[in-house]
Amino acid sequence: MAVDKRAARLGALALVSVILLGAVGARLWFLQTVQRQSLQAKVNNGQTRTQVLLPERGRIFDANGRILADNRRILTITIDRAVIRKKVNRTELFTRLSGILNVPVEEMERRWEDNQYSVFLPLPVAEDVSEATVLEIESRSEDYPGVRGDEDWARVYPYAPLASHVIGYMGLILQSQESQYKQLGYLNNETVGQFGVELSMEQVLHGKSGKVVYQVDSANRVVREISRIEPVPGKDVQLTIDLKVQQYAERVLETELVARRQRTDTTKMAKNPKDKDGNPKFTEPEPWVYDDKGEQFLPYPAPAGSVVVENYETGQIMAMASFPTFDNRWFTVGLSKSKFKQLFPVPDQNDPNRADKSILVNRAIQGQYNLGSTFKPFTAYAGIMSGVVGPKDIYEDTGSYTLNIDKSICNTGVRCEYFNALSAGTGKPSQYGPVNVEDALAVSSDAYFYHIGELTFEKDRTLLGTEVGQFGFGAKSGIDLPFEFTGRIPTSELKAALIDKGVLRKDESPKLLVGDNVQLAIGQGLLAASPLQLANAYSTLANSGFLNRPHIIRAIYQGGVPTGYPGYGDFRGATLIQSFDKPEVIHQIDLPESTSFPIIAGLQRVIYGRGVTYPGNFYHTTTGETLFKDYPKNGIPLAGKTGTAQGAASKPWYDSSVFAAFSTDAANPYTVVAYLEKAGYGAKAAGPVVKCMFEALGGQVTMDEVALADPLDQTSVLAAQPNQLADGSCLNNRFDTPAVRD
Amino acid sequence: MAFSVLNRRPDSGLGNVRSSPGDPSRNVDWVLLLTQAALVVCGCLTVYAASRTKGTDLPYGYTFATRQVIFVIISIIAMFAVMSLDYAWLRERARFFYGLTIVLLMLIFLLAKVSNGAQLSFDVGPIKLQPAEFAKVTVMFALAAFLSDSNSDSVNYERFVGALWLGGIPTVLIILQPDLGSSSVLVALMMGLLLVAGAKAKYIAMITALALSTVGAAVVTGLVNSYQTIRIQAWLNPNSNDVKLRSFIFQGKNALRATATGGLTGKGWLNGPITNTKGDIPVQWADFPFSAIGEMFGLLGCAVVIGLFGLALFRIWRIAHLSRDLLGTYICAGVFTMLLWQVFQNIAMTLGLMPITGLPLPFISYGGSGTLTYFVLFGLVQSVHMRRMR
Repeated sequence: MAVDKRAARLGALALVSVILLGAVGARLWFLQTVQRQSLQAKVNNGQTRTQVLLPERGRIFDANGRILADNRRILTITIDRAVIRKKVNRTELFTRLSGILNVPVEEMERRWEDNQYSVFLPLPVAEDVSEATVLEIESRSEDYPGVRGDEDWARVYPYAPLASHVIGYMGLILQSQESQYKQLGYLNNETVGQFGVELSMEQVLHGKSGKVVYQVDSANRVVREISRIEPVPGKDVQLTIDLKVQQYAERVLETELVARRQRTDTTKMAKNPKDKDGNPKFTEPEPWVYDDKGEQFLPYPAPAGSVVVENYETGQIMAMASFPTFDNRWFTVGLSKSKFKQLFPVPDQNDPNRADKSILVNRAIQGQYNLGSTFKPFTAYAGIMSGVVGPKDIYEDTGSYTLNIDKSICNTGVRCEYFNALSAGTGKPSQYGPVNVEDALAVSSDAYFYHIGELTFEKDRTLLGTEVGQFGFGAKSGIDLPFEFTGRIPTSELKAALIDKGVLRKDESPKLLVGDNVQLAIGQGLLAASPLQLANAYSTLANSGFLNRPHIIRAIYQGGVPTGYPGYGDFRGATLIQSFDKPEVIHQIDLPESTSFPIIAGLQRVIYGRGVTYPGNFYHTTTGETLFKDYPKNGIPLAGKTGTAQGAASKPWYDSSVFAAFSTDAANPYTVVAYLEKAGYGAKAAGPVVKCMFEALGGQVTMDEVALADPLDQTSVLAAQPNQLADGSCLNNRFDTPAVRD
Repeated sequence: MAFSVLNRRPDSGLGNVRSSPGDPSRNVDWVLLLTQAALVVCGCLTVYAASRTKGTDLPYGYTFATRQVIFVIISIIAMFAVMSLDYAWLRERARFFYGLTIVLLMLIFLLAKVSNGAQLSFDVGPIKLQPAEFAKVTVMFALAAFLSDSNSDSVNYERFVGALWLGGIPTVLIILQPDLGSSSVLVALMMGLLLVAGAKAKYIAMITALALSTVGAAVVTGLVNSYQTIRIQAWLNPNSNDVKLRSFIFQGKNALRATATGGLTGKGWLNGPITNTKGDIPVQWADFPFSAIGEMFGLLGCAVVIGLFGLALFRIWRIAHLSRDLLGTYICAGVFTMLLWQVFQNIAMTLGLMPITGLPLPFISYGGSGTLTYFVLFGLVQSVHMRRMR
């Protein structure tokens, strides 16, 4: 046996062991001598306990000082994580706590698993528990090891669900926001604004956390306080919203939408049109309603809508309603996932009407709508300013408009002829005869504006879009609310992009064609705008050419505005940080009186009448004349425009109703826009809403008093309780007759 | 023959005339035995110190220390039994034990499949049996026996391949459990034994490559669950904020701090702010006993423990030299490599040099199967020493 070789190999083994143990020894020496000091310092820091002192969030007031969002001190039960690291101990403690806290074990287990709660802080298992419960738990610490009651803040909305879309709601920091808020020094498990002013003003309202550092002994008991930084409360925010007007706007909107869904009066429903052979044009799965003559009718779905009331001198928003609405207190009660789904159901992706059902969108700023005829004043502006029509020029309206292009392509599927809306009397396109711009606006002559659409296109493909863009269409208004829709003015680039995305068919031309421009001229086609953009554009017309940035925030005050009259802030003793009372002009439009007068005169005729007489003695009322016949003589003088945005597949019951109007009296500088989705003609649904708003603003109708909200009924399955006018009679029209579309 | 130590009659004052100087009972390596005893005492004290104040509702107090003492007593009995056996006698039963181990490993693998989770032990009443621990003994013995069969001082290709199968099967089964720590011990064992048995350098390189690729394949195919890979990730990203990695980073970081802050002489018995408080190092008594020694007794205490291991290694190495036959040498070489690897891996992970695996520190860490295994291994080494005069 070759002992020598064996010895050599064993030697190799010994060498390996010397190397390995040597490495360990060297590292040990390095750690225990060289690095000892610095690591000891880190350990010493670990021997402290830091308790975060959360700041009180800024309060939110309405324009009159009513407290819309307040805070309440609450007690939160937390558990030291070291105590429940093991599954057995956790289950046992959770089970024991579940009874006294009335929180299911599964919920606590879910929070334990949830990343949202920092692993370095005690786990909160129940919020807003009574002081008695906390006392009981803390006095029996042997039964509830590591369980503590901590002071925290809860958000209170005294008038919910009023203005929920504007005020918004709070929620835990989402995963996508984590890094952003971390940089700002937020804790993982803080709640932040997730919608409305709560979100847009998050950093103003939030304030700065403070902290107390305690030295603790080995059993984690406090030995002494090392340092304390008091929290800095958030700043208080005053809105431009007048809650009384806001409540009225919400109620009038909801009352009208609900009324539009009725199934008893066929004159208030959509008629199923006939095709060429006299057969019903559409077959719908819904049950038809029949009148005496056996005609088919469908009630309007009227699922949603919005109202905007703006002060056109300052750009301040007095009221902004969106329906369907929600109670923002739902987000303060720790909703379970299933309850959330019940309240805010996610519509089926294949449902063509799924957009009707969304609740958590503020339609006034997020709605992406065709504007219909309410867009015509801006087309008129473009036509006059570009010189393609004169303010007095007469155009012969024959009920239709034929494009001035090579007629040979008309047989290849290109649409060359565009018609006026059908007259309710004759069932044929209305003919208005010779009209100037004022007449055309008053009776809403489509042919006149098709004409401008083509003339401007011939001059320059982008002319119409550029001119109307001056009124703020196609750009964010810059209101201090999140998720605002940018808007859309059709251009060649936009068409190409939409074809790319598959929104438009592949065989559509990627260039803006004359047909697109003609559609744009009457507010249809690819144009999209939010009701706020529409309101702001009318405001620009009303204030002789100043495009203001609309504001929902009136002022920002140093935190801690004192409470004066119960439920109101007292701003006399408060420190103003920033005021938005002065109008913020984005730009001034070239709006000479020679242009604005005929346009405004047309809009006044929409309200007060004088239609056109053609042919012969046949009198065409203006589109709003009948509706405003009972408008009080001493009411705020108005100018306005109806609009009916054609819905999908031109089905009459998908027509959306729009109405925009502004006061011509400088003492009451208001613009009001109402947009009621799938609710019929402009004068039929949105018109009455705007009329009621002005009657209320003018004092002819008494607005309901604002009352504090009832406690939230947590068993309810509705996102918000019904909220209708106590007296809805202003919506009724004594002179109601079947009207012309638009 | 068996249990001859127990049969030995008391001395009559004139020396035991019934036994010759070559009698096994007169050739125990007392230095190794005392070194082992010293380590075991250190171990029990460490387990007590590191577990005493921990616990969720009530502190554990003596719970773990008492259990460890019971394990040691059982292990001492087992060790004496092994010492009294001739390892040549055991050689004939090597196949049986090896086969039994493989069956147990497969059984536990199937059990894990059924219960749909990692399964490392059989629960026999209050005792948990970890076949992977016992595989260290049986596979070592089987390999030593197989390699010594050739009676040659070099390993030819056939024998190398045979050894590869012999060691590879249990290794793969343990990887699948999944227990990367224990399988790494078997890999170290194979390398050590083949080195001493005279395998060519390229064979050793081949094993290394095979081991690495097996682990790699197991990780990639997902056979090794994330629980194992997370430890490696945690080691590679010590500053990660990932929730899954946090607890391992936390454990490792605190263990390192505890050791380092012990300084030269330590903070004193039961006086470590990290070790002797509520529990900043989860299961310190099983995974990080060395950090407890480091914090309480500093560099000095650590040097003593490492010195004791060094002494034990030296004695085993010496016995490998002294052994008259190849089997004895290989047994010692096998025990040597496994002990070296396990001591290195455990201390190195405490010091942040290696990723955290569940490998216990022999004789110091809390744990029944682990303690029993090393007592049996040391028993085998003693058995070789006792019969070197044969």
